[in-house]
Amino acid sequence: MDTGEDLVLTGVHKLYGPAVVLDLDHVVLRRGEVVGLIGENGAGKSTMMGVVAGSVTPNAGTVSIAGNLLGAGGTLEAQELGVAMVSQEFPLVGQLSVTENLLLGRRASERRVLLDRRAMDDAAKGMLATVGLDVQVRRRVDSLSVAQRQMLEIAKALGRKPHVLILDEPTSALGPGESARVLELARQHATGGGVVIFVGHRLHEVREVADRIIVLRNGKLVADLTPAEATEQRLVREMVGMEILTGEGIAAPAAGATLAFEARALEAEGLGPLDLTLRHGEVVGIAGLMGSGRSRLLHVVMGARASTHGTMELDGANYHPHSPLDAVNAGVGLVPEDRKSQALLIDASIRWNVTLAILRRISLRRFLLTPAADRREAAGIVKRARVRCRTPEQPAGSLSGGNQQRMIFGRWMAARPRLLLLDEPTRGVDVGAKAEIYKLIEESRKEGMAILVASSELEELIGICHRIVVLRRGRITAQLERSEFSKERIIAAAAIDRAAA
Amino acid sequence: MAESPEVGIILAVIVAMIVFTAINPLFIHVSELQNLGIDLAGFGILAVGESLAIITGGIDLSVGSLTAFFVVVSAWLNTTAGLPVLLAFAVAILFGALWGLFHGLVITKLGVPPFVVTLVTFIFAAGADEAIAPNPIPISSTTFFAVAGSTVAGVPIAMIVFVVIALVAWFFLERTYIGRQVYAVGGSTEAARLAGIPIHRRIITAYVVSGACAAIVGIIEASRLTSGTADSVSGWELIAIASAVIGGASLAGGQGRIIGVVAGAALLVVLSDGLIFVDVNPYYQRMVVGVVLFVAIVVDRLRVRRLERLGGRTGLEVGTDPGGGGQSAPSVVETS
Repeated sequence: MDTGEDLVLTGVHKLYGPAVVLDLDHVVLRRGEVVGLIGENGAGKSTMMGVVAGSVTPNAGTVSIAGNLLGAGGTLEAQELGVAMVSQEFPLVGQLSVTENLLLGRRASERRVLLDRRAMDDAAKGMLATVGLDVQVRRRVDSLSVAQRQMLEIAKALGRKPHVLILDEPTSALGPGESARVLELARQHATGGGVVIFVGHRLHEVREVADRIIVLRNGKLVADLTPAEATEQRLVREMVGMEILTGEGIAAPAAGATLAFEARALEAEGLGPLDLTLRHGEVVGIAGLMGSGRSRLLHVVMGARASTHGTMELDGANYHPHSPLDAVNAGVGLVPEDRKSQALLIDASIRWNVTLAILRRISLRRFLLTPAADRREAAGIVKRARVRCRTPEQPAGSLSGGNQQRMIFGRWMAARPRLLLLDEPTRGVDVGAKAEIYKLIEESRKEGMAILVASSELEELIGICHRIVVLRRGRITAQLERSEFSKERIIAAAAIDRAAA
Repeated sequence: MAESPEVGIILAVIVAMIVFTAINPLFIHVSELQNLGIDLAGFGILAVGESLAIITGGIDLSVGSLTAFFVVVSAWLNTTAGLPVLLAFAVAILFGALWGLFHGLVITKLGVPPFVVTLVTFIFAAGADEAIAPNPIPISSTTFFAVAGSTVAGVPIAMIVFVVIALVAWFFLERTYIGRQVYAVGGSTEAARLAGIPIHRRIITAYVVSGACAAIVGIIEASRLTSGTADSVSGWELIAIASAVIGGASLAGGQGRIIGVVAGAALLVVLSDGLIFVDVNPYYQRMVVGVVLFVAIVVDRLRVRRLERLGGRTGLEVGTDPGGGGQSAPSVVETS
């Protein structure tokens, strides 16, 4: 019997302790279909995908894939039934090469004992070509950028020739060009008769790629919409259960605001030479494709990477950081791109996390860290950054992504920097949390901080910046004032070589 | 806050004391307690230094043979080189600190894993002590003997030294901003670096302290043996590491409190001394230590798992009260 019903979830129920995290009545996905799955963090998206991929065992209910019931065999059984999942935390082995990762657990040729390296490399090259990733197959995976690893992970999943392909926010680490490629791959997979679950946080992408969009809220399916019905307003409303506004117009920095930061002929490995200025109270965006040097620029300004040439000034004073410590002392802060590995002390308390950058200042005689001062500062920061928690003593890892990000914002707002550097400030946070982070940016700006934001989301930059600088191969190819903002211009400057505008 | 492992360990120490006393009431006789105190001083001081290295996310394997090395070196400085006792002590401790500085520099500036560099110096020190003292170096100074042999108000001097060191370490870790930064380095080196923490200096500090602690324990042991004898102690690095882990220090770094480490050391000392005292075959003692370590590790894993289940690595907001778990000890010590 073939009804085209390829993936059916019936009565699926999952509890964590007393909390119901997933409660699905009957969800059907048909072959040839790309289904968009959206919802706020904690809405149950990850759990639902986990159930399909076999990594989460539901307390009740069944999952059937192409007519076969998924048993308790876990991920291996799901894989055998044709499920492949591209998760946000890439299960890649950093010390192994691209080829070895792609073919992990598989064999490229008929030889039974020895590895046939050439055949493996050829197979790997083919897989990379499918996703349009251009890297050497013998390179170690830990030398790849986050975006490249994301593409590699997709190549690995597609290489298994899956039936059901799950993509968990596959474009969150990618620039516009690569994102478009991923959407195209998702479409191709569906056209070829597969089922695609596309979990996205950029609503316009989900609308673009999906034949159908389902929305989860508090573990329940609250909407099942066609692309025509699914306007961004409607989706947001379904996700958060109320209307919210994002990307409100922002006030221009005060006229005559002084120069906060200036870089002249700044150069570093793979970056520059470039000139850049920021005034107090100004938000400047950095756009560019992956590998264009967005993060690199921020890391050079933060002293986390050495500059090789050029000069920088902060409030007119010479600024030449040799380490992030120099940068912090000079009044520069960085909210890094990868929260988990670059910002969080995940097992430590919220209190420890928020006071991390101001420990010396809040210590008595710059030495004695009294519990009272520590608690007082932490409570103030938590309140100011609107971190929702039971107590500042709970571990940072127990917070949702958006809360964690606000916590890191709080860390740096407390340090009162002159220049705040933000690298993908809303990556992996939900719509509601995004709006709150924009609010925090606006508040910091009003206090006179100069803010430099690198982001792969153009809507975000267009929404919050006074000026956008476009990078391509480490050089500035365009500087757009607010009146000149348009996605087309930014993408053109990011993707096409031409003399600096 | 209900998640501190320290309370359970302290209770275990008390229970062990009661059990051994019940078998043989002489276990809590003053002279036996003094012996216990000197044993604890040695293991405890090593464990405190070791725990600093562990908190930064590293490990110091060298402390066992380094202690044996300093048994010989302290005797040599006093007897052979003729330095006054206190000067000999100072030189030995400084030497220990420099040895730790070497570890720290190799780890931070050359990027050699702590395990590797401290294993190398472990082997080196194990050879060096025999080279310096093929025959035991006798000690004649009564001041030297006093370290392990004399008491103040019934408390062995070595024990007092240990208490002072533990208090200073506690103060450093929990009441200074530098201590907090040491935890941060172990919690996430990259996050600490980007938050403007001088990670190299913090790591180096930990190994300097660990090296100095090994020298101090070397002095105590030389005093107890009344001579600088090569190969006098062995396997102590494992006891130091075990104490830290039993006391709640995570080998992944970023966690562990001095009170737990001290309790961990106390538990191991009470068990090994108590088993000797009630005439259990020495073979079994090591087995018991192994079992205790295993139990501590399992309990720690269960605790972490429970936290994860409650804490929602799922992105779930924690709204429920995490208290009330059957096996968790009531909290009197606050997690910080």
